[in-house]
Amino acid sequence: MLHRESGVFKTSYAADMALYPLPIARWTVAAIIVLLAVVLPLSLHEYYLSILNLSLIAVVGALGLNILVGYTGQISVGHAAFMSVGAYTAANLAVHLHLPFWVTLPAGGLMAAFIGALVGIPSLRIKGLYLAIATLAGQLIIEWIINHTPAISGGAQASIEVPRPTLWGYQLKTQGQLYYFLLFFAVLATLATLNIVRSRIGRAFVAIRDQDIAAEIIGINIFRYKLLSFAISSFYAGVCGVLYTYYFGIANYEAFQIGVSIDYLAMIIIGGLGSVLGSIFGAIFVTMLPIAIRLVMEPLAGMFFSSGELSSIVASTRLVLFGCLIIFFLVVEPEGLNRLWRNIRNYFRVWPFSY
Amino acid sequence: MWDEIQFGFALAVSGLSIGLMYSLIALGFVLVYKATDAINFAQGEFVMLAGFVAALVLAVKGMPVIGAVVAALAVMILFSFGLERVVLRPLLGRPVVAVIMATIGLGAILRGLPPITVGGETRALSLPIGDTPISIWTASLPPIQILGVIVTLTFLGLFTWFFLKSRMGVAMRAVADNQQVAMAMGINVERYFALAWAMAGTVSALGGVIWGSMLGVDVHLALVGLKVFPVVILGGLDSVLGAVIGGLIIGLVESLAAGYLDPYVGGGTKDFAPYVVMIIALMFKPYGMFGTHRIERV
Amino acid sequence: MSKRMNWGAAVIAAGTLALTAGTAGAQDKELVFGLQCDRTGATQTVGVFLCPGYHDYINLVNSKGGVEGYKIKVIEIDNEYKVPPAMEAHERFKKEGAVLQGVYGTPQIAALTKKLEEDKILGTSPGFGNSASTDGKRYPYVFPLAASYWSQAAAAVTFAKKELGGDLKGKKIAYLYFDNPAGKDPLPILEDLSKSEGFELKTFAVPSPGVEMGAQALDITGRFKPDFVIAHLFGRAPSVSIKELKGKGYPMNKVISLVWGASEADIKAAGGFEVANGYHTLQFAGVGTDFQVIKDINAMYQAQGKPAPKEQETSVFYNRGLVIAALHVEAARNAIKAKGGAKPNSEDVKNGMEAIKGFTLGGMVPPMEVTREDHEGGGWVQVWTVKDGKLVKDGEWFQAHRDVIKKHLQAIN
Repeated sequence: MLHRESGVFKTSYAADMALYPLPIARWTVAAIIVLLAVVLPLSLHEYYLSILNLSLIAVVGALGLNILVGYTGQISVGHAAFMSVGAYTAANLAVHLHLPFWVTLPAGGLMAAFIGALVGIPSLRIKGLYLAIATLAGQLIIEWIINHTPAISGGAQASIEVPRPTLWGYQLKTQGQLYYFLLFFAVLATLATLNIVRSRIGRAFVAIRDQDIAAEIIGINIFRYKLLSFAISSFYAGVCGVLYTYYFGIANYEAFQIGVSIDYLAMIIIGGLGSVLGSIFGAIFVTMLPIAIRLVMEPLAGMFFSSGELSSIVASTRLVLFGCLIIFFLVVEPEGLNRLWRNIRNYFRVWPFSY
Repeated sequence: MWDEIQFGFALAVSGLSIGLMYSLIALGFVLVYKATDAINFAQGEFVMLAGFVAALVLAVKGMPVIGAVVAALAVMILFSFGLERVVLRPLLGRPVVAVIMATIGLGAILRGLPPITVGGETRALSLPIGDTPISIWTASLPPIQILGVIVTLTFLGLFTWFFLKSRMGVAMRAVADNQQVAMAMGINVERYFALAWAMAGTVSALGGVIWGSMLGVDVHLALVGLKVFPVVILGGLDSVLGAVIGGLIIGLVESLAAGYLDPYVGGGTKDFAPYVVMIIALMFKPYGMFGTHRIERV
Repeated sequence: MSKRMNWGAAVIAAGTLALTAGTAGAQDKELVFGLQCDRTGATQTVGVFLCPGYHDYINLVNSKGGVEGYKIKVIEIDNEYKVPPAMEAHERFKKEGAVLQGVYGTPQIAALTKKLEEDKILGTSPGFGNSASTDGKRYPYVFPLAASYWSQAAAAVTFAKKELGGDLKGKKIAYLYFDNPAGKDPLPILEDLSKSEGFELKTFAVPSPGVEMGAQALDITGRFKPDFVIAHLFGRAPSVSIKELKGKGYPMNKVISLVWGASEADIKAAGGFEVANGYHTLQFAGVGTDFQVIKDINAMYQAQGKPAPKEQETSVFYNRGLVIAALHVEAARNAIKAKGGAKPNSEDVKNGMEAIKGFTLGGMVPPMEVTREDHEGGGWVQVWTVKDGKLVKDGEWFQAHRDVIKKHLQAIN
């Protein structure tokens, strides 16, 4: 019924390598765009939009981390530090030089990319968990530097208040307006990632992940591509940090500590390593999970416990459930939500003629 | 000048002893990795669990300390057995990140359980060893740390003998080296996996009792698990000796950094100074000081 | 595969059902209070005692007919001491029509400062947060409501001065703190006072979470050898600091802790009241169970056939929860009265909060006065010292160095 490939023929290489070669894929993407850009913001209450906004920011970060971990096979636990680099760069530029957001955002990203490449230098010698902990060192050192340099952190409080982004004199303040702002960047990030992984760079990354010695032998400059991977991934992280800053209206490194790095790792593992759709699924899942658990538990448990005990039980149960769900997903489907989605999609590929 | 030397000595002794306490936790991590290739991100939570069991049992009136220790050992060994069967068996052969994530998830579960079941307040774990610090020249160590040092060094001796000389230890090394061949040689791989986890459980149990006594038992006891990583990376993920020496170095660096670097830079170097040392060491020895070099075949 | 899909569908259906069921807005004679709490994060050792205290007071008020006839509904959300959940909690409170919000955590109030102002809902940050937010003109919607870190530091110095014979000239004071914004907040006040009072100040930073501080303790006791130690730690660190300092032979009665290192739980975790004998603590709420309001709460529990909540044992944090709730209720009461009995919105409650004066809840709350300019209420603290197995009141409520604090406020805002 939902025949995808039959009857579709390509007559040029360009057409074959296009991002969405099948007509049905194009229709689906158009429908999703209408849903995201028109239906959701107009129909959802501000509170739900705010949750979506948090997910959108997470999508950008998760995409970046997936490029590094999923496509290039390097483990990094320092993602949150690059976010704070981007955040403080943008905040300082916005507050001291009064630069608009379309300058501070790439500036934050580039600064983070530079620092990310520095942190990635050990990856040329070290692999596996050893590399992961080396990046953890990067996280701690960056945190310390920001904390102890008032020029960067803006004082003991380490918080820099940033005015909301202004677009043609129109300040973006409400959740709805911020939604469009963030959606734009999330879509941009997704498109960029999709194109990177299809390109020469992306293939080099995958080669490094699969067999880096063999890749070196066939002429891929591992040094260059590993650093590039760290840089690109950190660029995304920096942009993510800037988006958080504009969304909260304040830059504070305490929002970007090791727990956040682990959260992003969880996102891409649950979503599926090495896939763009997986990053998006994972980001939305991990961001919404605590909220969803709480929303479900409150009325259910409210029948059994008083409000005082309830909050304690909900909070701890949420943590337990979070852990259980992670383990459940890993045991049941170690390749993440992406694989689950692919299974569903493949099922419908030849449905109802699956025999 | 003499004052400075005295201070430096006290600093060094304090750092070395704390370092050995870190090694105690690191040993649990190393045992598991050495035998089963699994990376246990929840090592701190294991220590916390052991601490809770010991504290709860000790709170029962009239219970001798040895009872609490035995209870902690029993629970941890059973828990490790169960964990290995239920969670880690299905994850055999999956990519490394999957096991890491699974242990992170497990850690989250273990951290969420105490507030629901027994309450989140801090419990004291008092051991009958007194509080007055013992002085070694200008350094003074609380007896609990001396106990920790003794326990760690005992384990070092025990495990080194075990892996080098005993039949079971050699079999476990064989299993870690190449599971297929070990199975072909008639070694019951599953039994040795379980044994490795049980040994790690033992170490965690004692670590929980000692650290719980030092810090007090609550959910935050799990935070000591973060200290494990620089220690095992520096020492080598699968080396028992590395865990001990790595711990000594990390503890020493932390202490010296806090004592000598902090005043110049406003504090906080203690957190990342060990990591810097670790990275420098890794650049020369990418598998840690005593870790086995992974030979990659193309 | 299809079995999995069935389960997935069932979960989604249950979730949707629950979602629609759980989103009842506030009723007519009902006020909604939002409370953020940390039950599972880095400071859960505080949250698990503080928030029950809050709930208990609100339940007591509700059981006596509510505040001016309005029942209060509290929505508590655990923010895990992280910032995105705090932001999401704020949005949720806004959606449910909360008229005020109890924020929890220094990074959280920092992140929410702007949003609170945009949404015109007041947030309280008692005993933590940015001391500069005492200035109500600059931060109209942030209410420290209890001694800020600046006030606490100034009070600690005043207490040290009293203990050291009335003069600090030439003396040495060590400041032991966390290497994060909360810890560094009081530094300007301490440095200023060290100049004006003539004492030598040396700072010792401990990286969070501070489960181990042997080197800092050694540095303090072995090298610096101060006459007094001011400690500003929270979470697990206070008990570790007590053990370390005591272990290196430093007398406990020369140590004073700011408000968050000051609870029975910390002292118990350090080995008990005997170990910490002499340890001084700063409090912004009364300690112990000898207050009428606690007797009333216990009576309420008895009437329901339940025992008194065991959280009361850690009365330091429990009572703080009570006090925060009491102040929230007073703000609502002022707002309702100002509106002649009509239902107040968040703006009215903010005005009500700025009118709190002379509310002491039987001595548990200091004689504070909140005004439009002073959102702190005066920065009153009290010293309670560990003596004979419990915390004993060591003096009356006092303020310290308000002029110095005002000077710094003007400089920074």
